[in-house]
Amino acid sequence: MTGQTMPKVKTNRVKYPEGWELIESTLRELQAKMREAENDPHEGKRKCETLWPIFKIVHQKSRYIFYLYHRRKEISKELYEFCLDQGYADRNLIAKWKKPGYERLCCLRCMQPRDHNFATACVCRVPKHLREEKVIECVHCGCKGCASGD
Amino acid sequence: MAHRLLRDHEADGWERSDFPIICESCLGDNPYVRMTKADYDKECKICTRPFTVFRWRPGRESRYKKTEVCQTCSKLKNVCQVCLLDLEYGLPVQVRDTALSINSNDAIPKSDVNKEYFAEEHDRRARAGLDYESSYGKVRPNDTILKLQRTTPYYKRNRAHICSFYVRGECTRGAECPYRHEMPVTGELSQQNIKDRYYGVNDPVALKLLNKAGEMPSLEAPEDESIKTLYVGGLDKRVTEQDLRDNFYAHGEIESIKMVLDKACAFVTYTTREGAEKAAEELSNKLVIKGLRLKLMWGKPQAPRPESETSEGARQQAAVAHSGMLPRSVISQQQNQFQPSGSGVQGQPPPMQYFNIPPPPQLDRAFYPSMDPQRMGALVPSHDGENKSGSEKQQGQHYPSQAMPPPPPPHGQYPHQHYPPYGYMQPMPPYQQYPPYHSAIPPPQHYQHSGPARPPPPVNAPSASTTPASASSGSAPPIPGLSAASGSSHQ
Repeated sequence: MTGQTMPKVKTNRVKYPEGWELIESTLRELQAKMREAENDPHEGKRKCETLWPIFKIVHQKSRYIFYLYHRRKEISKELYEFCLDQGYADRNLIAKWKKPGYERLCCLRCMQPRDHNFATACVCRVPKHLREEKVIECVHCGCKGCASGD
Repeated sequence: MAHRLLRDHEADGWERSDFPIICESCLGDNPYVRMTKADYDKECKICTRPFTVFRWRPGRESRYKKTEVCQTCSKLKNVCQVCLLDLEYGLPVQVRDTALSINSNDAIPKSDVNKEYFAEEHDRRARAGLDYESSYGKVRPNDTILKLQRTTPYYKRNRAHICSFYVRGECTRGAECPYRHEMPVTGELSQQNIKDRYYGVNDPVALKLLNKAGEMPSLEAPEDESIKTLYVGGLDKRVTEQDLRDNFYAHGEIESIKMVLDKACAFVTYTTREGAEKAAEELSNKLVIKGLRLKLMWGKPQAPRPESETSEGARQQAAVAHSGMLPRSVISQQQNQFQPSGSGVQGQPPPMQYFNIPPPPQLDRAFYPSMDPQRMGALVPSHDGENKSGSEKQQGQHYPSQAMPPPPPPHGQYPHQHYPPYGYMQPMPPYQQYPPYHSAIPPPQHYQHSGPARPPPPVNAPSASTTPASASSGSAPPIPGLSAASGSSHQ
């Protein structure tokens, strides 16, 4: 979906840069959460709804790494690039977060006009005060509203 | 049918179109509509041929609608591609065919291959320009159809469908569920079948409509033989007096037409009772002017006034009786009617007023200056200056001469009492004790609408002016008489 590779299993070949120990535990937790979401049964869910947890966890992982590097500045550039290469975060999604107006973007599909009728963005990108229906869950990723204002 | 993998787009029989054939209700109330077009997206529900599917949302509260049957099928029956109701009348196919005695079913085959072949043939001919069968335009509408047809678009059918999970109690989507959380209405009407509806066979909605048409009540003539007036309701500012005249003149000579725009109604009075009856018979349930369905009923006369000592009293009673229900122009029209009769025969009971409006609420006599819109400066053309001064004078007069004014009517009645001072005061001038004033102020201005009515007031005015003493004393009796009359008129 997002073009990332599976997080590599820790082998001896992979050389982890310094600072890895600090973030390793959180990343392992998030990985486990993703594994769970992948194996969830589909009972009681709509077809589109089954994929929503995947998008949510990708967003969460990328958010973690984005904050660590760009906001809190607690990891080195090397480590950051390492995480992106290994697939612990989505590079393209983080690239969007750096742009004004897209700081809270939920997923890349929701802002892609090519994916929508009439070349619009998804309804979750519309701020709540401009929408007619207040409670929505967008069909791609289950987002309830990712406009930067609210 | 055949797997047509190599498509020759000109030669194939599949349908392509540029815009759907749909009715107003299905198109929606929003003038800005975004529609997607998908060639060969689905197969027609009737003839199962692929066709161009258009999909749009008919308004904010609606679900998305899409064309269900192909244009060939819709043209064959002259129906909307989505709702399968007639394009002109908004009625099911069965109703329209029964009412207009069309039978289009013979030519259309219903079995599988035959039906596809027929549809393709028809389509090909239509595209080649041969006028295959456009009989729907030639049919004259008849009574039944006019009674049954839908005149305004019906947007309730565009609402979202019922949430089937909610019906079972299992809807987990909660607030964001786009489907309606209501219980479904079950019954005979809910077993509908698209093919039955299209072919006009065994359609429960159509059967219900046809039964209703058979039983539609005709307008009962009232027992009181002197009523020659029909009440027309549901008016709009688009409907003019000329429209009413055009519609009603055919049945008899119209005596008068009074339009009451406040109440969105009008009263059409004929010179003869037969004319009125004929109009009622012809037009009841069928009156549609400029797309507005109008309600037709017999006019109800107001209860006759218990006493009318003098013609003036009668006039005042009748005038006041409107109690603000009718605009000035109407009141002065009625003045017009009264003056001749009043001057002609003294003490003649006033002609009946025809109101389908409930009798006016109990009006107290006191009219405070603030209740008179003109006195407070509201502009009414052609009555303004004179009335202002006229009513002012009269107010000044009234209060000393009357008994102490009763407490003002409850607040809710104020809107209704816009006009009483006007109607109330109007007949006063000739009979009041300010003769110099009244001869000075031209009464003709006052009675602008009632041309022929002019003689009476000036007649009275000079007489009042010549006998100021008697007029001043003569005004005393009329005033108590007036107040008695007014008191009794506002039942």
